Amino acid sequence: MKSVMPDMQPMNQTVQETPQFRVLTEDQIEQIYFAALDVLERVGSRVHHDEALELFRNSGEAVVGDDKRVRVPASLVERALKNYPRKITLQGRNGKRSVALQKDHVYFGTGSDLPFTYDRKTGERRRTTYKDVVDAGRIVDYLPNFDFFMSHGIVGDAPNPQTYDRHQFMAMLEGCTKPMVVTSVDGEGLEDLWKMACVFQGGEEEFRLSPMFVAYIEPISPLTNDITAVEKLLFAAEKGIPAMYTPCPSSGATAPATIAGMLVQSLAETLLAIALCHLKKPGMPLIMGGVTTVMDMRTTTYSYGAPEMSLASAANTDVSKWLNLIMFSTGGCSDSKCLDEQAAIESTISNLTAFLSGANLVHDVGYIDSGVNASLESLVMNDEIIGMVRQMGKGVRTDEEYLALKEIDEVGPGGEYVTHDHTYEHWREWFLPKLMDRSDWETWNNEGAKSMSDRVNEETQRILDTHEPLPIDDDARKALKEIIDAAEKRHSK
Amino acid sequence: MTFRTNYTVNRTPRFSLLSEDQKARMFRGVIKTLNDTGANVHHEGVRELLAKNRCKVDGKRVRIPPEVVRDALASVPPTTTIYSWDGDEEMCYVEPGRSYFGPGPTPPNFIDTDTLERRPYQRKDATIVARVCDALPNIGYVQSLGSIDDVTHALSDVYEFADMIQNTRKVIMNWAFSVENVMDEHRIGIVMAGGEEAFKRHPNFIHYSEPISPLTSDFDAIGKCYYCAQHRIPQVYTPCCIGGATVPATHAGQLIVAMSESMVGVVVSQLLNPGTCILIGGVQSILDMRRTIYSYGAPELSIMSAAYTELLNYVGLPMYSTSGCTDTKRMDIQSAIEAAYSIHTAMMSGANFVHDNGYTESGITGDVFQTVMDDEIIGMSRLICGGVEVNEETLAVEEICNVGPGGHYLYEDHTMKWFRKHWQPTLMDRNSYEDWDAQGRLTMKDRIIKKTRDIIENHEGPVSRVPEDAKKDIQKILDSAEERVRSK
Repeated sequence: MKSVMPDMQPMNQTVQETPQFRVLTEDQIEQIYFAALDVLERVGSRVHHDEALELFRNSGEAVVGDDKRVRVPASLVERALKNYPRKITLQGRNGKRSVALQKDHVYFGTGSDLPFTYDRKTGERRRTTYKDVVDAGRIVDYLPNFDFFMSHGIVGDAPNPQTYDRHQFMAMLEGCTKPMVVTSVDGEGLEDLWKMACVFQGGEEEFRLSPMFVAYIEPISPLTNDITAVEKLLFAAEKGIPAMYTPCPSSGATAPATIAGMLVQSLAETLLAIALCHLKKPGMPLIMGGVTTVMDMRTTTYSYGAPEMSLASAANTDVSKWLNLIMFSTGGCSDSKCLDEQAAIESTISNLTAFLSGANLVHDVGYIDSGVNASLESLVMNDEIIGMVRQMGKGVRTDEEYLALKEIDEVGPGGEYVTHDHTYEHWREWFLPKLMDRSDWETWNNEGAKSMSDRVNEETQRILDTHEPLPIDDDARKALKEIIDAAEKRHSK
Repeated sequence: MTFRTNYTVNRTPRFSLLSEDQKARMFRGVIKTLNDTGANVHHEGVRELLAKNRCKVDGKRVRIPPEVVRDALASVPPTTTIYSWDGDEEMCYVEPGRSYFGPGPTPPNFIDTDTLERRPYQRKDATIVARVCDALPNIGYVQSLGSIDDVTHALSDVYEFADMIQNTRKVIMNWAFSVENVMDEHRIGIVMAGGEEAFKRHPNFIHYSEPISPLTSDFDAIGKCYYCAQHRIPQVYTPCCIGGATVPATHAGQLIVAMSESMVGVVVSQLLNPGTCILIGGVQSILDMRRTIYSYGAPELSIMSAAYTELLNYVGLPMYSTSGCTDTKRMDIQSAIEAAYSIHTAMMSGANFVHDNGYTESGITGDVFQTVMDDEIIGMSRLICGGVEVNEETLAVEEICNVGPGGHYLYEDHTMKWFRKHWQPTLMDRNSYEDWDAQGRLTMKDRIIKKTRDIIENHEGPVSRVPEDAKKDIQKILDSAEERVRSK
């Protein structure tokens, strides 16, 4: 028999199961890291929180100025860095440990707190409501390529802005059973959300082993930590709640106009939290993050579609891996005001780049209008995009069956493979589109000459009409209501 | 200024799908296929050439031993320059690390730029495509996006090239039905270059021809390959492989067949004229089994093209890849997703020439609006693939310390200087909702149509610089070609 690979187990072979993608070399990462340490020693970061300032003062290493400016030596940062977990597994209220945050595992999810929603009936934008958050939750709960849920919209019809976060979390829980990333008003708000989550996870101790959510916390660039952000951080450190400290620098406005400079500043902001949380309680599950993008020169928009965002985020992810920190990145978002070709392009480029970079949590999927407007259709469109992106993650297999030398010889020049068993056995490994049209001209016309937007719209409506997430039982509902009512009472004065 | 030693820089992101071992394994598959299975070559002269050069010929079947493949690969040039006819300007370097994006050849239909209706491709469209591509900064070379319907059919390839080369300064990739037509196009290239010697020094087009999968070189395809090699015309010899139909359904198997059939062209070209430029690659996609469509939007197209680019880079061959194309019938978000996915992947993979930017309806309809959209995507992708510059100035530690906590960077000299390097969109809208609303709520598609029509109206291209004599000579070439066709 000719033309068949000898039957052998290859020795000493390296196989790439998935694509490799890297923006920075280790040398370049080190330059950024050392520059960030230098910034923390020279200018430091301002911390508007008394307990935090006290922790730094008592460290015997950090220097606290009268202007609340904290300068931190490399020694403290480096000691702190050794104490963060490299793995956090999140468990949704459905009981599934479905998000295993560890090296090179990539999960996609929404963003949060969009003030406006694209109304599906009128086509106009309007204030986001409780029901919009529930609906976004149901969509995310249904879509197979979404792994975690942030609120997408902000509950604009909550009774009190000081307690809106509890209602928002309630809306999220109603709509979605997957793990979450949550925003909160302040430390007290985070405490309530954590108590609400503990209702499902079986208490505080169980939550530590199987957390339902990650708390989203952000510093203010450049190099400023406000009181509520620090409150949340310290509370999360104390209770072992996973949290991310994620700067949103705007290159050219609140950060240097160079990507490297923006990453230095952003890392300095992160490292301050690394030091602070370590002083509070070593070993908390802290996640690195950042929406690192540019301010558009002409319109002063903080751009969610700029290619610089994808590039800087991928570079930042390289830094996070080198530091052995879990990474919260950005993708699937757009500056477009509607779901058009621009939204599609910006979502695709950012999702693909974020996926290849190996960031662990990719959020803001579905944002349009530069992080102002929520669109349910955008979530459905992105689910298809992420499906395509994940297909690339399967790589190219090169074992004997896949080289197909025997089949190539059998079929020979001028033959065909349609009827070959080998084809039948393997074509299902290809990406099977749900919303992409691959019909011919006549079929497409006969089926109504629909655009993908039409199909996205229909699919969105179908999910809203049919998908009911696992209901919350009455006991849990009662316990949640008690927590929310108590918060309302405290803040009613 | 501090000095560092032993410092490695990623000038651009590093992207790869295959390990060295996987590439070696696939290449061995190609060697075995060529040696054991071989390919059919429907051209007696070429078979004689191969038989004389250590290949085994059995009827139409040619089996190529590994040492012949090795010799051919060793003589493919590491770099080739292709020039603009308009002056001595160097336009394209066929060498690793340089990617040029352009449209594709020969769809029967075209989206009319006035009516937006789908109709057969006309002669005037070739000029439109050439001029629009001439104006687009991220389009690196030009193909026609159609085959002309309203001239003598047997000469639509020659008319297309005659019109296009006068309307763009960029390198053109042409195609032809037959060797006779390649000869006409070659004459046109010589006229535009200013003589035979000038063309040899400064070739101004690349010729595209296709073997047929699986493993078949038909008379015209290999004949054209032969002619181009003889005259040292840079060429592409690439099949359109249909995964699950004309090649195996597994990607590795598909690429082994694709490379094996193209290697026939590589071997022939290097035997005839060692050091002549040849690219291989082609469209690598799958047959959608539910709709029986050869998909131009499938992620598999991008994945296989990227893997193929790596495989060819491993053996020192330049890659002719595919992107910016779609299965849609009308531009919509699907066209945008498929184009963005394939362009970004092709860019990351570092393919040399990347075609089909502007293909719609699975390669049935050319759409220059799609090309204009693709141009913007290529710009975005190029920015990302430009990587991050890391040095003392870009790290900006001084500026960060000067601005300090709570400050801003708007008026820093550093910002003024580096701001300008941010990517500037031409079609992406970054207005506030209010401004967008006030300006008429345009979608990207609206802006694409406007931009395209602006170019057609205002960008003349180099046609006025074509010497009158050259125009006359080209007309003579067309006239004698008509004569030849009539006399048949």
